Amino acid sequence: MKILRTLLWSLVPLLAAIGAAQAHPHVWVTTTSELVYAPDGSVTGVRHAWAFDDMFSAFATQGIETKQKGVFTREDLAPLAQVNVDSLKDFDYFTYAKANGKKAEFNGPADYWLDYKNEVLTLHFTLPFKAPVKAQRLDVEVYDPTYFVDFSMAENDPVKLVGAPGQCKLTVVRPTDANVASNGSINEQFFNSLDASSNWGAQFANKISVTCP
Amino acid sequence: MKANAPSVVIARESGRSSNHRLFKQITGRCLLDAPLSRGMTNLVILAALVAGLLLVAGAFDVVLAQGNPFGGPRPPAAPSLPFGGGVLGWMLAKQAELYLQFRTLIRAAKTDGSAVFSLLAISFIYGIFHAAGPGHGKAVISSYLIANQETWRRGVVLSFASAMVQALVAVGIVGIAAALLGASRSTLCTADWLIEVASYSLIIAVGARLLWIKGRGFLAGLRMRRHEPVPAPVGAAVTDRHEHDHRHDHAHHHGHDHGHSHAHHHDEACDHDHGPDPASLSGPGGWRRGLSAIFAVGLRPCSGAILVLVFALAQGLFWAGAAATFVMGLGTAITVAAIATLAVGARGVAAKLASSRPGYAALAMRGIEVGAAALIILFGLLLLAGYLATERLVGLC
Repeated sequence: MKILRTLLWSLVPLLAAIGAAQAHPHVWVTTTSELVYAPDGSVTGVRHAWAFDDMFSAFATQGIETKQKGVFTREDLAPLAQVNVDSLKDFDYFTYAKANGKKAEFNGPADYWLDYKNEVLTLHFTLPFKAPVKAQRLDVEVYDPTYFVDFSMAENDPVKLVGAPGQCKLTVVRPTDANVASNGSINEQFFNSLDASSNWGAQFANKISVTCP
Repeated sequence: MKANAPSVVIARESGRSSNHRLFKQITGRCLLDAPLSRGMTNLVILAALVAGLLLVAGAFDVVLAQGNPFGGPRPPAAPSLPFGGGVLGWMLAKQAELYLQFRTLIRAAKTDGSAVFSLLAISFIYGIFHAAGPGHGKAVISSYLIANQETWRRGVVLSFASAMVQALVAVGIVGIAAALLGASRSTLCTADWLIEVASYSLIIAVGARLLWIKGRGFLAGLRMRRHEPVPAPVGAAVTDRHEHDHRHDHAHHHGHDHGHSHAHHHDEACDHDHGPDPASLSGPGGWRRGLSAIFAVGLRPCSGAILVLVFALAQGLFWAGAAATFVMGLGTAITVAAIATLAVGARGVAAKLASSRPGYAALAMRGIEVGAAALIILFGLLLLAGYLATERLVGLC
């Protein structure tokens, strides 16, 4: 039995290492979002501006031909914007919405473009709801379930309501806030994270919610 | 998926013992085979414990995540990087922190040459942490070492060689394709994809080759087992022996004098049948074969390295990025080598355990090897099918 115990203990670090087999983020995105309202007070869609970190910006713009070195125009970047938007489709645009707690679906992006300033690439796109959402409570979360991409909201005014009825109230919760709020206790997310199919990245979600009376 | 690896090996092991049960039924051997049933109990306990170990590891994490063990208030969370608690969260946070320093330091190196030293130091530490993440061949290398009866020394060499190949491929791709040919992101992505497919296919090939060799050895061992005399409890000896010997005779059509020739014959069969001699797999001749494993694991560059290299290139400091990539590889190799050494050690302990039940030891070890070889194929298939998380270049490609 002694040998058995030795064997088991020798496996602990091995398993710990295997458990840690989770990639850290490789791409950082700073988000600014707008919820666009129709005159009747329903939400028609979400307009995102995602600024990539400079490392990814350098990678993405590698080899793109420009008239002037280091200056990328919207036209230069159009093919890349197309690729971005196409591949984002497989990830639900990392944007998850709920109207009164029920999942609200998006159509593909209506307009999208990239701009490049100070070595930072920013992707602009609008996600229209399949049907305009009129709900007392609208929640929009932005995150990558696999946490390869780290999303964080811009420091100032990360979310704007465009044309919202005056009584609507906006709440924004950053993942850092959420972690503090959960008081560090272990929740089911931890146990979910042991499972490969889990929604590990959800704990790093940026949460937007709007309540309208 | 990776988390299941040890229990799969164990499952193989208990599969082996059910073979014994089957065999016992066939030969009608006495059920009072005490050493065997104790062995089976051991294996069941082992399987249960190992399966439960993930939970133990989990609990370990929970304890650490519950904050200050001294009852004081929990220290405020790290300000900028929102990671979960526990060892896992801490490791991810550290990696991300270090990774973010790459760009700061590469930028700084443009004007201040001494920043390169910090860059190299950071790269080394990052490599050590980073290898814990997916895509650095820990699982494949460990399984390979177990399946192929390698020594820890060869495990270490294998880990370092594959890490260096990995660095070389990353620097090669970015250096040739991007720096010299001005290839675009999409070309880089295609290259990466092709290399990925080649790498995973090679992993499957390495596993298949091992499974073929080890599987044959295992089957030969099983066949031999059928003819091996097992010390039976005294009371049952006579009838039991008789039945057994009869079968032996029948199977072989040798018509030898039973009592005398049996043991001798068995040894002969063993030497003859067991598949390649271990010396041909490890030892000098084995290096050529080790090479296939090195390439299978090392071929696929890690996406982090590619990002760093392209960034360094854009900053006009490609050489600094290349140096960082190789140092990162060194760090990675240390972690992979440590895990590989553990795997070899675990195999050694298993061999010791098995040897306490003489007669079954060789077969048990061969069963483990077959299991490990099958695991390599499984890893390769899952990687190829995209089910096993690797560092994908999502949205990047």
